[in-house]
Parts: sequence; structure tokens; C-alpha cells
Amino acid sequence: MPGLSAHVSSADHILETRASSHDLGAHVVACAFAPDGSAGFALGDGTLRIAADAAWTSIAAHEGAVLALAADARGFVTGGDDGKLQRIAGGEVTTLADFGSRWVEQVAATRTHIAAGYGKRVAVLDAAGKTIKTLEHPSSVTGLVFDAKGKRIGASHVNGASLWFVAAKTDNPRKLEWKGSHTGIAISPDGENVVTAMQENALHGWRLSDGQHMRMSGYPAKTKALSFSRNSKWLATSGAESIVLWPFFGGGPMGKAPTELAGGDAAFCTFVACHPQHEAVAAGFSDGMVVLADIGSERILPVAGPGGRGAVTALAWHPDGARLALGTETGFAAVVDFSKQ
Amino acid sequence: MSASPTSDQVPVTVLTGYLGAGKTTLLNRILSEQHGRRYAVVVNEFGELGIDNDLVVDTDEEVFEMNNGCICCTVRGDLIRIVGGLMKRRDKFDGIIIETTGLANPAPVAQTFFVDEDVRARTRLDAIVTVVDAKHLPARLADSHEAADQIAFADVIVLNKTDLVTPAELEAVEAKIREINRFAVIHRADHANVPVTDLLNQGAFDLDRVLARVPEFLTDDAHEHNDDVTSLSFAVEEDLDAEKFNAWIGALLAEQGADLLRTKGILAYKDDDRRFAFQAVHMIADGAYIGPWRPGEKRESRIVFIGRNLNRPRLRRGFEACRA
Repeated sequence: MPGLSAHVSSADHILETRASSHDLGAHVVACAFAPDGSAGFALGDGTLRIAADAAWTSIAAHEGAVLALAADARGFVTGGDDGKLQRIAGGEVTTLADFGSRWVEQVAATRTHIAAGYGKRVAVLDAAGKTIKTLEHPSSVTGLVFDAKGKRIGASHVNGASLWFVAAKTDNPRKLEWKGSHTGIAISPDGENVVTAMQENALHGWRLSDGQHMRMSGYPAKTKALSFSRNSKWLATSGAESIVLWPFFGGGPMGKAPTELAGGDAAFCTFVACHPQHEAVAAGFSDGMVVLADIGSERILPVAGPGGRGAVTALAWHPDGARLALGTETGFAAVVDFSKQ
Repeated sequence: MSASPTSDQVPVTVLTGYLGAGKTTLLNRILSEQHGRRYAVVVNEFGELGIDNDLVVDTDEEVFEMNNGCICCTVRGDLIRIVGGLMKRRDKFDGIIIETTGLANPAPVAQTFFVDEDVRARTRLDAIVTVVDAKHLPARLADSHEAADQIAFADVIVLNKTDLVTPAELEAVEAKIREINRFAVIHRADHANVPVTDLLNQGAFDLDRVLARVPEFLTDDAHEHNDDVTSLSFAVEEDLDAEKFNAWIGALLAEQGADLLRTKGILAYKDDDRRFAFQAVHMIADGAYIGPWRPGEKRESRIVFIGRNLNRPRLRRGFEACRA
């Protein structure tokens, strides 16, 4: 019978026809794709689940919860509330660092470096896993990213963010200051702008060329996910009933209204991940819905329908842009393949 | 007969007290007692805690001001992150215990549970428990603001080291505590020997229990000095006008919020058969209807202030002017 049932099944059509999915039974904290193409899901039960083709495996990574995940040159790197920084590659777990009683809440990586935030410090490791320096911050590090070239590290904290050069001999960060608690950070791929999320349901930004401040506000909830489009023109954000995209061109975002996509329902956008090549963004919502939105045409492709799977807590694109990993707070996880079949 | 949790929010107990009052001893007692429950304990220094079943989280108190135009609205950023992290774990906790440093002002901890939306959604502030040293409290009150603040914020006070003072000294120190906060429950103890059931799951911040322990309206005979923390309560038998009350309390908290450590009230609004519960920590306020007046319960509005520079006649006039 056509009608409601047909509509509901169509919202899950891509999930049913183009995805390998699994109920993992624990909060999905983060997901990422390793260089070998496998997708890793970091869970609140301390395991890393790996989806390679249609096979799912589980690896015990931490004693408590995994708090952070990144893909590095060899595999996955995770941080946990057991104070450890682990590498998971080739089915094996190697402890890269043990910070004792401090939670490892932030991990970021490039092909050449790994950065791990624990308390006020960030340890920078080389690709072999050797610690090469430790960066000190005025308060706990709440967000950690490398820029697109892997040359700088941005860390958010109370009263702003610090921008460090990975290769610098003397470690003095460029201090980006703004009063308040900053809870997450993104650097535009062109390296021109740094944006942080703030405790007060707003974003703060700095244009690096001249130090110009930017303030983006009006969110009904805290923004937890920030993602720049590949061409640096758009900043996609969570924290509202729609995907909020700020224009970073034509003088924006100052004085410009953001573009809002896939809005209208009572659900909140909880996660965003811009496509690695195109002007498109994958977004997850508090009701479990996942969509792919084309920014230019404002067309919305449903990936997973709402209901039954919990709020979306993680999204990640494979660098080739053909596959998307997604996870929810109740432990639903999937790898969606958008390539021509 | 302690209150059972009304939801699946994890109860949070804040443990304050001056250095040397016996906080660590009390914490060890709580954690070693065979209560069959599992707690996450947030501490500032890994001390001599004997932990088997429980999780200890080491943190630095990171207090910051909210950018909301309210100068006394400070919160603990580290707690927001820790609560977020704990909620991701599969093994859930029966409760979270937060130990503050000896000199800590309890306001930022309490305000964190009012202000942060994620923390509010997942946890509820159960009670502030303050440990005081019966022998040294008079000296602490004389040389620091924090000692008085910790008593003023308390829902439960563990009056510890009673074995080190004479009965007369004990009476005097308890009277001193009552001058500051006459609404907290006081447990006398030596070596912090208080049953866990008297400390955890007290529901002191539940709106429907806000004034559960307020004794019948007391006539105040405390002497007020400007800089001392005192507590006052007022009652009005006639119904209140909700708009008038909101206007008055809003202006009062904005003007004097820095001095008002805690404010609590149960209000009878005109043409409403439900009780309205109100509470505030400094300027941060919260309120909700909490069901009808109970049979046999006297329908009247009561309000309690704990703070500094309380002007009794002015507060009374202000409250009475809210009558409908």
C-alpha cells in the first residue's frame, strides 16, 4: 500500500541499499576512515569497531570510554579516559603514550604527526609515535585540529584559542583571544580563518590576516560540530533545527545571514561533515535522521530516516568522497557507499 | 526514607569543606561502605582515596564567567566536560560526587547545574554537603569568606571532630552555624562517621523539596552584621501575583545577586491551585509548578534568603508587596 509506509521506507532507502550497518550497543563517540579504507568507530565501552568491506571487528582499546579518534598514516589513533593514547593498526593495539590520571579528550592526526590533548597539555608525536614536544595551554584543551597542510595546530580553551607551528623550534603560539569558554575549533582549509564554538550557543572567529573578530550567534543549542567546505567558502554547523551554513566569501560572514538547510522539524542538527571535494554537507539530527545536502542547489538527499536509532553523534567522509561513516548515541553505525553501482 | 530519584538523571553530590575539616576521610567512608552502589568521584588531587569499585576522575577546577551580562554567573568548565565524558560510558553510575578544594566557593559548581543545558539534561544537583571542623570553625570564619560561604550553600552540614571540643564549645559552634544557615541539616560526627544515607540522594535541589526542611516560620533573633552571612525567611498568607513576584525577584537578583548566595521559595499564586517552587544561586534562578497544595497543608507563600547585607525590612516589604 502506498502512502506513509512507502514514505518511511524511502527515507531509509540509501541505508537499505547502499550501506553496511551494525548495532554496536554503545555510544559512538567518533568515526574515521583509515588509509586502508576501513572505517573505525570509537565507542563509549572502550572498544574500536572496524568495518572493512562488510566485515565488522571489535578491538579493546581503552579501559573506560574512548573519548577521541583520528586516522593517521598507519591506522587509527585513540584517546581514552584511562589516560592512554593508543594506536590501532593491523589488528594490534600499541600504547603511544600514557598520561596517567588525565583523560585524553582530544586527538588529531596528519600523515606526519599526531596531536593528543590531555588536560591543559597537547603532546605532539611524529608518525612513528615518538613524542617530540608538549604544548602548554592556560586551561584544558577542548578542541584540537591540524590545518589542511598539517603545518599548524589549533587548540581551543578558555578565553580563546592557540595556534602553534608544528615545526617551530621555539614554541610560542599565536594567541587568539576572546573572553569566555571555547569548546571546539575549526580552521578553514585555505588557512585564512579560525572559528571556535562557545559555551553561550555562539561561534567566535578570527580572520588570521588582520585579526578581525567574527561573532556568529543565534543558536538555540550549543554547537558541537563545525566543518568547513573544501573550498573554504562555507562553514557548516550543528546546534539549530537546521544545518546552519555561514558564508565565508563576499565579505561574509559579517553582516550576512547564514543559509539554513534541511530544517523545519523539531529535531536539532547534532553533527555535520562537509564533503571532501564538493560543496555538499552530510548532517545528522537528534532524531537519528541523516541527510546529504547540496549547498548550491539546496537539494536534500535522505540517507537515514528519523526514529529508533538515537541522536547522530558522529559522521566522517572517506577522503575519496564516495563513502560516509555515521554513528549514533545508541550505538547504531553504518558505512554508506555513494559510488555508482 | 530518603528521596528516590524522580528520573534517570544521575544525582550529583557536591562535597565542600575547609582544608583539614575531614573531606577526604568522609569521602573514603562513603566509598568504602558496602552500599552496593557505584560512584564517579571528581577530585582535584589524587589523594589517599581507597577505590575499588568506583571511578576517580582527576581535574583542575576551571572556573569561568558566562558571557551573559551577569557578573556573578561563573561555572566550572571542567565539570561540563567530565559529565559529558561520563555519559558516554556504557557502565552508568548511581551517582557523581564532586569534591571541591578547601578554598573553593561552591557557587560555580552549583551554577554549572543550572546553566549548562547538557549537564542539566543528564544530571541533577542533589545536595551540597559541607564538612566543618568543630574545633577550628570559629578561627576559619574569622579569617576567610569561603568558610562562611561553604556553610551558607550547604544543604547538609557534617559537624566533624566533635570529640575534640567540649559540649559547651559544640553548642556554641552549632549556634554559629545556625546564624549563617538555619535551614541545613546538621549531623554531628567524629572521624566523619555519618551514614551514607544521610548524605547522598537527599533531593535537596529538587524543586518539590525546596522548602521541605524549612521549619515553621521562625521569628528571627539573629543579630545582623553587614559582612556576615545570615539567613532570613518570610511568609505571606495571602496569594501572590505572579507578575509582581517576577518583577520584584528579578530586580532583586539583578541588583543584589552577588550578596544572595541562595534563595528558595514556595509560592501560592492567585487563581492557581498548584505550588510554585523557586530557587536561585546568586543571579541564576529556576522555577516550576510542582503540583497542588497537599490536603492539610497551609496555603501560604514562603521565601528564604541566605546571604550578606540582607535588609530585613526592605526584603519583607518587597515580598509582601507581591500580594495579589
